[in-house]
Amino acid sequence: MANEFSVLGKSLVRKDAIEKAKGEAKYIADIQLPRMLHAKFLRSPHAHAEIISIDASKAEALSGVKCILTYQNIPRVHPLRKFEYLLDETVHFPGEEVAAVAALTSEIAEEALKLIEVKYQVLPAVFNPDEAMKPDAALVHQEYGTNIYHGTELVQIPRLDKDHWLRLEVGSIDKGFAEADHVLEATFDWTPIQYNCSPKSRTVICEWTGEKLTCLADTQLPLFLWQDLSNCLGIPQSNIRVIANYAVGGYGGKMPEKTAILVAIMAKRTGRPVKAALSRAEDFISTHHRISYKTSHKIGVKKEGTLIAGYHKIIAHWGGDTSVPYICQATGLLGCTMLYEWQNSKAETCGVMTNMVGYGPMNGFGDPEVIYSLERMIDMVAEKMNMDPVTFRLKNCMKYGGRAMEYEQVLYGPIQWGILGSDLNSFPELIAKCAEKAQWKGKWKGWRTPVASYKYKKRGIGIALGMHHTSFWPSSAIVKMNQDGTANVLSMAVEMGQGYATAISQVVAETLGIRYEDVNPILADTAATPTSRGNVASSGTSSPINSAKLAAEHVKQRLFELAAPRLNSTVDALQAREGYICVKGTDHKISIANICLAHWQLTGYANNPPVESIRDEKTGQVIHAYAAAVTIAEIEVDTETGMVNLVKLTSGHDCGRAINPVVIENQIDLGVIMANGWVRTEKFVIDEKTGIVLNPNLLDYKLITFLDMPKSEDFQRFFVERPCAWGPFGAKGMSETAMTAVAPAIANAIYNAIGIRIYDGFLSPDNILKAIEKAAQG
Amino acid sequence: MPEIVLKINGMEYELKASVKATLADVLREELGLTGTKIMCNEGECGACTVLINGKPMLSCMMLAIDAQNKDILTIEGLADPVTGNLHPLQEAFVELSGMQCGVCTPGMILTAKALLDSNPDPTEDDVRNGLSGNLCRCGNYRRITECVLEASEKIRVGKKYGQ
Repeated sequence: MANEFSVLGKSLVRKDAIEKAKGEAKYIADIQLPRMLHAKFLRSPHAHAEIISIDASKAEALSGVKCILTYQNIPRVHPLRKFEYLLDETVHFPGEEVAAVAALTSEIAEEALKLIEVKYQVLPAVFNPDEAMKPDAALVHQEYGTNIYHGTELVQIPRLDKDHWLRLEVGSIDKGFAEADHVLEATFDWTPIQYNCSPKSRTVICEWTGEKLTCLADTQLPLFLWQDLSNCLGIPQSNIRVIANYAVGGYGGKMPEKTAILVAIMAKRTGRPVKAALSRAEDFISTHHRISYKTSHKIGVKKEGTLIAGYHKIIAHWGGDTSVPYICQATGLLGCTMLYEWQNSKAETCGVMTNMVGYGPMNGFGDPEVIYSLERMIDMVAEKMNMDPVTFRLKNCMKYGGRAMEYEQVLYGPIQWGILGSDLNSFPELIAKCAEKAQWKGKWKGWRTPVASYKYKKRGIGIALGMHHTSFWPSSAIVKMNQDGTANVLSMAVEMGQGYATAISQVVAETLGIRYEDVNPILADTAATPTSRGNVASSGTSSPINSAKLAAEHVKQRLFELAAPRLNSTVDALQAREGYICVKGTDHKISIANICLAHWQLTGYANNPPVESIRDEKTGQVIHAYAAAVTIAEIEVDTETGMVNLVKLTSGHDCGRAINPVVIENQIDLGVIMANGWVRTEKFVIDEKTGIVLNPNLLDYKLITFLDMPKSEDFQRFFVERPCAWGPFGAKGMSETAMTAVAPAIANAIYNAIGIRIYDGFLSPDNILKAIEKAAQG
Repeated sequence: MPEIVLKINGMEYELKASVKATLADVLREELGLTGTKIMCNEGECGACTVLINGKPMLSCMMLAIDAQNKDILTIEGLADPVTGNLHPLQEAFVELSGMQCGVCTPGMILTAKALLDSNPDPTEDDVRNGLSGNLCRCGNYRRITECVLEASEKIRVGKKYGQ
């Protein structure tokens, strides 16, 4: 397969590799501008309080302080989809911004924060999401009347029912359960909160030239920040330039932050560049973390082991974040309903607010949190049927022609099933290969039978499926040919470590028939690059890179038209390779550089086609982008200490086509450590009485290290390449899919080892010991 | 502010620095050597690692005034100063994609250099243990291990043939 390409499918050197290895890559944090001021933020010590008075006069008098913002002296505007004003007279979680200071140095700015006198009237607060749903609960936003989110005047969610739940049903769930021979149900407690912990805490620099703002932002969504700045500052987007060069791993967390808007206001008022760089602790307590779900599943199965009905309930805990209302959960609903071929399926969800820091999108965007419980539940059903979990999944997994839903339809459209095209058709092959590579047959000894036991150590094995939509969205790109036959590709999407700059260059080089080294990606500059949504929802490959390929085809067509008469040929007879345009099957050729030199900058431009136009060849149905994953984990539990050792991990993926296999393997590794940290080590500790984060540092909040991962020979990743009917060269992306199957595979392996299910989801030694002790007491 | 002298990558720098300034701050903010990265700023992650007299040290936990009269090596000084050729570790990180976001990369490479200087033929376990104080949020641990083993091989072969 790989031989048909000269650039694609090869693990070429990353575009940013040399800069990063030499320490030359300049992140926002590394940039200093002349006369630059430094910003710091005063944060609420209370979870819920009204500001009675705020006196900044002493702080203003401090030498070196140039600007102070409070709710009293800035516009009353709402940042993107937020309830609260930019700075509000009411604070809703501990850590929320109360005031901002810009000063000559960060030390002076910090000193000034101490001099701002604030009197608070403390209000009742609610932290426990179960409590927050009760009718008599304290309200996070009193004027809203409920803690269950259902949109605002500005944010309409038309699909919500009157009781504020989002529901979808396909077939008849009642009929399904009536026909089932066995029905099982279980509720899984709140999934762990996870801090996204970008290696670089949030950093932004704003500078004005006259009425024009330049914002250097460490964001994965320059488009949204651009809109947010325009809305909040009341200036046109044409006067704002957001540049997100060398963003640092957002993992879903680097959404627009109000700090950028506050910094822009201070830069305007002082006439100087202003930089805000959050400390690690500030980043912990004020930026949004992984959404938390409490899920219930009820599953009906026929006696031969066919799934006939599935009911899924997701209650989502958002804390104080409303920036992506119901979108994470809509993804989660898809996760529930699309892994298996349910004949009858119902899913419902609601979102609960509390007086905590926000919980929202993070690597997986609402899918891992529900697949974690669903895949444990599927194991419970397989055990009930006394079927091998691999066999059970092979029998019931989504296959070609299975029914699936479109993402947009869940939130906004009428619910109808589309027929899956060439997307989620690889599960049978992925499962079979994964089982073979992990030597499942030799290891699986049956339910509640460990793979091996040695004194107090028990070894277990577990499997799980995963998926994530790699959204196909509107997007556009430009490919400019330079006079020497090299090319620049312009795209608003962001390189934040995932390999976007590399992948887009490979696709453009392959399309144009030029060298990879001769493509220069120009990214994430809202003044120069054509619009795309940015890098969210693993859409980089499927959306902006797809439009880059179309733009490259556009300019290639122009090159061919110019080359044809010079080669005494026709456009149809030409092909581009190795920097030349050749007449197929002959030696006639002309260099691309030659054509480019003769014709002033040739430029290709393209938009992605409408989503509705992408149809499966066989069924004619509209299809969408879903990447699939299967993980098998082998673990060893020390039943005396509760410690879990991840012995072996096998992770298989269908990403359509692998543009750069090594880059994709790195993204798989990312998903694996994210999932491991999430359910094993990264305990986010919040005081139940105050809502204050108690461990906002990397000593007490444990990230995964080298030693927590299996050694190389025990850590296998592989691809099944099923080029999709659309997407650049059939690639559909993957990043977030990597995480989805890992946590449930580990949990299922622990169950296999010790025969005890842990429903609260955090698989720490203490929780495992507690579960073992509880089981021993009967 | 006292005047201090720091010897960094073979060059002497004279500068004024606050007694409270960490070596990381001075490197980054006074000298513009921003290849030294800060991730946690509390000595927990290893991103700010530099070599002091050949030993890996956390520059965010060390005062600049304490770094005087010592040889400081930062990532900017690792490639050959004359030819500009990358160090074999840098080469391996480039060729095998030993990085994603790249923030941990300089600290990872310098820690690995100290490891290979003291143990030129490490096993996979040696590398994992030697680098276990350096965090990579992008999860590139397996790839980084491969890079370090690859570089150790290259250095050994290079030495054997007198390069």
